[in-house]
Amino acid sequence: MSSEMMAVDYYIPLIMFLIVGALTPIGAMAVVKIISPLKPTFRKGATYEGGISPIRDALIQYNVQYYLIAIAFVIFDVEVLFLYPWIYIYTSEVIPTLGGVSIAILGMATFIIVLLIGLLYDIKKEALRWV
Amino acid sequence: MVLSTIVEPITDFVAQEPKIAGLIIGLIAAAIISSVTNVGAMGIVWLERKVLGDMTNRFGPSRVGTRWGILQLVADAIKLFTKEDSIPRGADKPVYVWAPIVACMTTMLVAAVLPWGALNIGGVVYPLVAVNMDISAFFVEAALSLMAIAAFMAGWGSNNKYSMLGAFRGIARMISYEVPMGICVISVAVMAHSLNIVEIVEAQSIWYIIAQPLGFVIFMIALITDLGRVPFDQSEAEEEIIAGYVTEYGGIRWGLLYFQEYITMLLGSVLLVHLYLGGWNGPTIPVITILSPMIWFLMKVILVLVFLIWVRGSLIRFRIDQVTDLGWKWLLPLSLVNLVWAVAIGMYFA
Repeated sequence: MSSEMMAVDYYIPLIMFLIVGALTPIGAMAVVKIISPLKPTFRKGATYEGGISPIRDALIQYNVQYYLIAIAFVIFDVEVLFLYPWIYIYTSEVIPTLGGVSIAILGMATFIIVLLIGLLYDIKKEALRWV
Repeated sequence: MVLSTIVEPITDFVAQEPKIAGLIIGLIAAAIISSVTNVGAMGIVWLERKVLGDMTNRFGPSRVGTRWGILQLVADAIKLFTKEDSIPRGADKPVYVWAPIVACMTTMLVAAVLPWGALNIGGVVYPLVAVNMDISAFFVEAALSLMAIAAFMAGWGSNNKYSMLGAFRGIARMISYEVPMGICVISVAVMAHSLNIVEIVEAQSIWYIIAQPLGFVIFMIALITDLGRVPFDQSEAEEEIIAGYVTEYGGIRWGLLYFQEYITMLLGSVLLVHLYLGGWNGPTIPVITILSPMIWFLMKVILVLVFLIWVRGSLIRFRIDQVTDLGWKWLLPLSLVNLVWAVAIGMYFA
């Protein structure tokens, strides 16, 4: 294959990988459907709850603490997303320097320090504590 | 002469119809890689049982298929395929059914962009990779985190309290370790000046385990967490929540989910070898020059796998709050320290 492939062409073989990945379990389940016995009873279809009959539904409201952890994750994941393109430019000669250090590195350092202060605040407020 | 008559029409076709050729190449590659990962995972399951058996003073599989028990997995597969396929009444059926399928699709996506070794033909090393994309390290990380989605689908779809707890824990664990892991990948990419795994391997004249030992330790811990293995398997802690997110699964559906975990373990080890242990780099072995990178690659992967099994055999499970604490309060700041280190070293040698 030529090295000048269009960026979108990378993703075409991936379609086939997704299809093969989906067909493997579907095929396995089809084989099971053919060769395995199927005698459902009322008791077999019950939800397992340590031997007793299940009490209420399991699809509960979650604790608000999960949201705090999730929001902290989103913030830091965005930070990581900004770091990925930064890899390619931080040694670039085009970017101006400030006191001998590239603006790209200074900018990213400032960004990370601000986020670290946020993390410290989160930890102090016990927002990341598991409940 | 004969070779060119075969190769030329193929290259012409690829040049004229890149999209259709991409689909055909993708299908062939997917079939090969699917078999490689599945056979590899079967090997890992056998290896794990055998090694764990030895560690706990047992024999491990020793009846089916010689005294080494190599056919044990075939026997298990026959049992799983002939078992009744029972779906609980309370389950959210589409989600419950799709969870193993999503898991399989995820592992295939990761396997597509990972290099599976390399061959040294006439002094030039050709990596064996199905889709050699520029951002493969980023893509692998993104696709690996989809495993948590599959686990959450399994937990939610089962409509079982134990499954639900396991799914919550799985998500919390994943999001606590995704960030340090991502920063470790970035630290590696900063040194290699590329996100392409092939280029990262080629850039490792010094293995990154030596260049960034701290990053290696953080990545190893984050990887074990991502794979959901002891001591970080809180989402299926059998002593606390029965079997976590797979409690309601049985027969082949359970088998598929369980098997995907071992395939992820293989993929994770391959990723670790590529990022930190120099991939297929190593001194050329005489006589079998052509296979020499492949042998180095396989040796390193098996070493990492045995290490993961060893960790499982020797450590106990942490509590879930300890796990999230470790991720947020220790690994995240430490991974940033490692990033600063990587940038400093990168600037110094640039």
